[in-house]
Amino acid sequence: MKHSDTIGAIVAGIAVAVGAVLFWTGVAAAQSVTVYTAGPQGLAEALSKGFTAKSGAKVNLFQGTTGQVMARLAAENANPQCDVLISASWDTAIDLKAKGDLLAYSSPNAKNVPDNLKDAAYVAQGAAALAIVWNSKTGKPKPADWADLAKPDYKDAVTMPDPAASGSAYGLVSGLVANKDLGWKFFEGLKTNGTVVAGANAAALNPVMQGAKSAVFGAVDYISIEAKQQGEAIEVIYPKTGTVLEARPMMILKSSKNVDNAKKFIDYVLSDEGQKLVADVYLLPSRTDIAAKRPGWKDIKLLPADASASAQKRSETLAQFKTVMGVK
Amino acid sequence: MILGLSVTALGIIVALPILFVLLQSIFPHLADGSLRGPFSTVVSALSDARLPEMLFGTISLGICVALGCLVVALPLAILRGLTDLPAATLWDVLFLIPFMIPPYVGAFAWVMALQPGGFTTQLFGLNGGGFLFSFAGVVAVMVLHLFPVVYFALSRTLAVVGSRFADVGRVCGASQLYAFGRITLPLSVPALAGSLLLVFALTIEEYGTPATLGRQSGLIVLVTGIEERFAEWPIDLPGAALMAVMLMALALAAFFLQRWLVERRSTVVVAGKYGQSPLILLGRWKIPAILFFVSIAVLAIGGPIASIVATSVSRTLSGGLAWDNFGLQHFATVLNNRTGAMDALMNSLWLAAAAALGAGLLGALASYIAVRSTLRGRSVVDALSVLPNAVPGMVLAVGLILAWNRSWWPFPVYNTPIVLLFAYICILLPYPVRYVGAALRQIGPNLDAAARVSGAGMGLTLWRILLPLIAPNLLVATLLVFAIASRELVASVMLAPSGMKTVATFVFNQFAQGSPGVGMALSVLAIFSSTAILVVLARVSQTSLDG
Repeated sequence: MKHSDTIGAIVAGIAVAVGAVLFWTGVAAAQSVTVYTAGPQGLAEALSKGFTAKSGAKVNLFQGTTGQVMARLAAENANPQCDVLISASWDTAIDLKAKGDLLAYSSPNAKNVPDNLKDAAYVAQGAAALAIVWNSKTGKPKPADWADLAKPDYKDAVTMPDPAASGSAYGLVSGLVANKDLGWKFFEGLKTNGTVVAGANAAALNPVMQGAKSAVFGAVDYISIEAKQQGEAIEVIYPKTGTVLEARPMMILKSSKNVDNAKKFIDYVLSDEGQKLVADVYLLPSRTDIAAKRPGWKDIKLLPADASASAQKRSETLAQFKTVMGVK
Repeated sequence: MILGLSVTALGIIVALPILFVLLQSIFPHLADGSLRGPFSTVVSALSDARLPEMLFGTISLGICVALGCLVVALPLAILRGLTDLPAATLWDVLFLIPFMIPPYVGAFAWVMALQPGGFTTQLFGLNGGGFLFSFAGVVAVMVLHLFPVVYFALSRTLAVVGSRFADVGRVCGASQLYAFGRITLPLSVPALAGSLLLVFALTIEEYGTPATLGRQSGLIVLVTGIEERFAEWPIDLPGAALMAVMLMALALAAFFLQRWLVERRSTVVVAGKYGQSPLILLGRWKIPAILFFVSIAVLAIGGPIASIVATSVSRTLSGGLAWDNFGLQHFATVLNNRTGAMDALMNSLWLAAAAALGAGLLGALASYIAVRSTLRGRSVVDALSVLPNAVPGMVLAVGLILAWNRSWWPFPVYNTPIVLLFAYICILLPYPVRYVGAALRQIGPNLDAAARVSGAGMGLTLWRILLPLIAPNLLVATLLVFAIASRELVASVMLAPSGMKTVATFVFNQFAQGSPGVGMALSVLAIFSSTAILVVLARVSQTSLDG
C-alpha cells in the first residue's frame, strides 16, 4: 500500500514538472525572436524591452562574453536556437559568413552606417575604440601615446588585455605590428618594461582602477568612460599614433526560424530609438547621424586596418605575440 | 524497483552528457550532427606544445592542494570530532562559509586585498602581490577554500568512530597517542581518502581561481586550456572535449587509488546501536585549540569576506579605503532589481534547493548500490558518480547541450531550467555519494541482514535502519550541494535558458563590465542569505535527528 502511494506521488510529481516545462516552452515559442549577444547586459535588456514594446514579439535573450556566446552557438549546431547574433568581434562575422552560416540582409535603417561597418550579411550595432586608460592618482606622468607606456616611467606599471581572449585587443596588436615605426620591436620593449598580459578586458582594467598598475594598454573605452562617470579617478586617452575600432557586428543566422522578427529586430537596433540606447551605454552608435555621448567619429584617429587580412593572419600573429610577450 | 529507477536516473543525468563529451572528442563534427572524420583532430590536439606543462601543472596543483587541506583540516577535525571543543556547532557553520564564497569571487577578493595598492597595502603597508601571484599563492587560496571538504568528512567520521574503539585499546594498555594512531586514525581512512579524492578532483576541475590568479603566476592547467579552446575564436569543441577526457582519466586514476587504499581492510565500526561516545576533555588546551580555530577562520573567512564587503561599500575602486569613499549605492542597484539582481538571487536559491534534494536522494541511493548491493555493475555506478567531479563545468555543459538540444526528445529539456538542474545534480552528485559511502562502509552488513530476516523489505530497511545511520553525513552533503549549487558559474553561463539569470552569471557579468562593486554587493547578499538558510536548515534537522 505504502509503496504504491510513493510511486503515485513520484508519477504526479513528474507530470507536474513536464507540464511546467511544456508551458515554459509554449510561452517561448509564441511570436518571438532569440538573440545571442555579447557586450553590455544593460544595453541588451533595454533593446529587448524596447523591441517588445514596439513589435509585440518576445525576445529570448542570451547574454555573455563573445567566447561564451560562440561556444553555445557551436554546441547547438545540431539544432540551432539562435536567430540574431551580436558579437563583439568583427572576425566572427567574417568567419561565419565564409562558412555560409549567415542570411544576407540589408536593413533600410543602415543607410547612415559607414561602409566599413556593414556588409551584405552583417552590420554594426555600434562600436568602441581602444584607448589608454590611466589612473591619475598613481603619480605617473600622463601618457599621450602608446610608446609612452614602454618608457622607464611605466616600468612594471602597465597591463594589457590578451589579444587571444579579446577580439578588440587582437585588432590593436595587428594594427600596431603593421605600423613600421612600432612593429614587434615595440612589443618587445613593452615586455622588457614589465607589461602584464592579463586575460580579458576587465582583468586588465581592475588593477589599474585599484592603483596596483598605472595604465591599461588598449582598454575598451566605453567601460572605462562609464567607470569614470561613476567617479573612478581614471582618464581615457586616445593615442596620437591612432587606435582601432571594435565594431560589434549583428547578423541573422541562416538556420533562423523567425526570419521576419529577426529582420525587424535588426531594424529596431538601427532605428533612432535603438541607436540612442546604444549611445546611452557610451558606445559609439554605428549610424553617423546619431549623437554619441562620448568622443565621436571625428575625435579619434584610427590606424589603417585591413580587417580581412588581419583575420587571415590571426593565428600566426597570436603565436608571435605569445612568444614576444612570454605569455603561456 | 528503486534500484532500477536510480540506475536509470544516474544514466540520464551523469552518463548521457559524459557519453556525448566522449563522442565529441572522437567525432569532431558531432555538434553539426555528423559522424564523419573520427579521430581526425586527436593528433593536432595532442601535439599542443603546452600540453605536458598543463598536465604537470594540473597534477601538482591537485596534489599540493589535497596535502594542504590535509594539513589544515586534520587537526581541526580531530579537535572537533573527539574533544569537548567549545562552540562546536558554531565552527561547523563558520566552516561552511568558505563554500558559500564562489571561487571566482574569492580569488578576486584576494586580489583586491593583496595586490600592490590593495586593501592590505592601504591598511598595513603590506603588499602580498608577490605571494598571491605564485604557485604557492594559488595553492593557499584553494586550500583555504576547500579544506572544509576534509574537515566535515573527517570530523563526522571521527565522532562516529569515537573514542570507543580507542578506549578498548587504552584498556588493553595502549597510550592515548598510540591508540589514536593505531585505532582511531586507521578506522577513519575511508572518510579521509574519500574527501582527499574530492579535493583533488575539485582542484583539477576548478576554473575560477586558476583563471583569476594563474595568468600572473605563470601556472597553466588543463581547465584554463579547455576554456581557451572555447573562448578563442575559432571555437575548438573537439579539442576541448579531448582535454576533458584527459581530466576525467586523471580523476578516475585518483579514484581507483583511493578505492585500493580503502578496500584493503574492513573499517566497519557500527555493528549495533549507534551511541554517543565520550569526548576527550581538552582541559588547559582549550584556549590554544580555540585560538587555532579562530586563526583558520580569520584567514579562510575573515580575509575574503572583509575584502568582498569593502569592495561592495566603496563608491569607487580608485578612491580606496576612505570614509568619503563609503557608499551603499551598489546595494541600492542590487536591491531595486532594475538590473535583475534580485531575480537572479531567487533563481539561484530555488535551483540550489531543488538540486540539493535531487542530488541527496540520488546520491544516497547510488552509494547504497555501490557499497551495499550485489548488483553486477556496482563499481561502475561508483565510478560514474565520481566522474562529474573531473568534468569541467564548461565541458559538461557542452555535453548537456549536445545530448538535450535534439529535436527527437518528446519533451524539451534544453532551454528550460530543468537542464540547469540536471547540470547541478550531475556536478554535485559526488558529494552525497562520497559522504554517504563513507558512512555506509562503517555500518556492519548484519544490521540490514537482521532487518531483512525480521521481515522488512528493502525499502523499509533503507528507511528505518540505514537512513537514520547515514543521516548526519547525508545532511552535511546536501547542505554542501545547496551551498555550491547556489553559486555555480561555468555551467550556468552556458546552460541558463535565454532570459534567466543566476547569482553567478550576474556577478560574473558585473566583473566583466568593470563594475566589481555591484557584483560584490550581490555576492554579499547571496553569501548571507544562503548561510542563513543553511543555519536554519541545520538547526531544524539537528533537532529532529536528536529527537
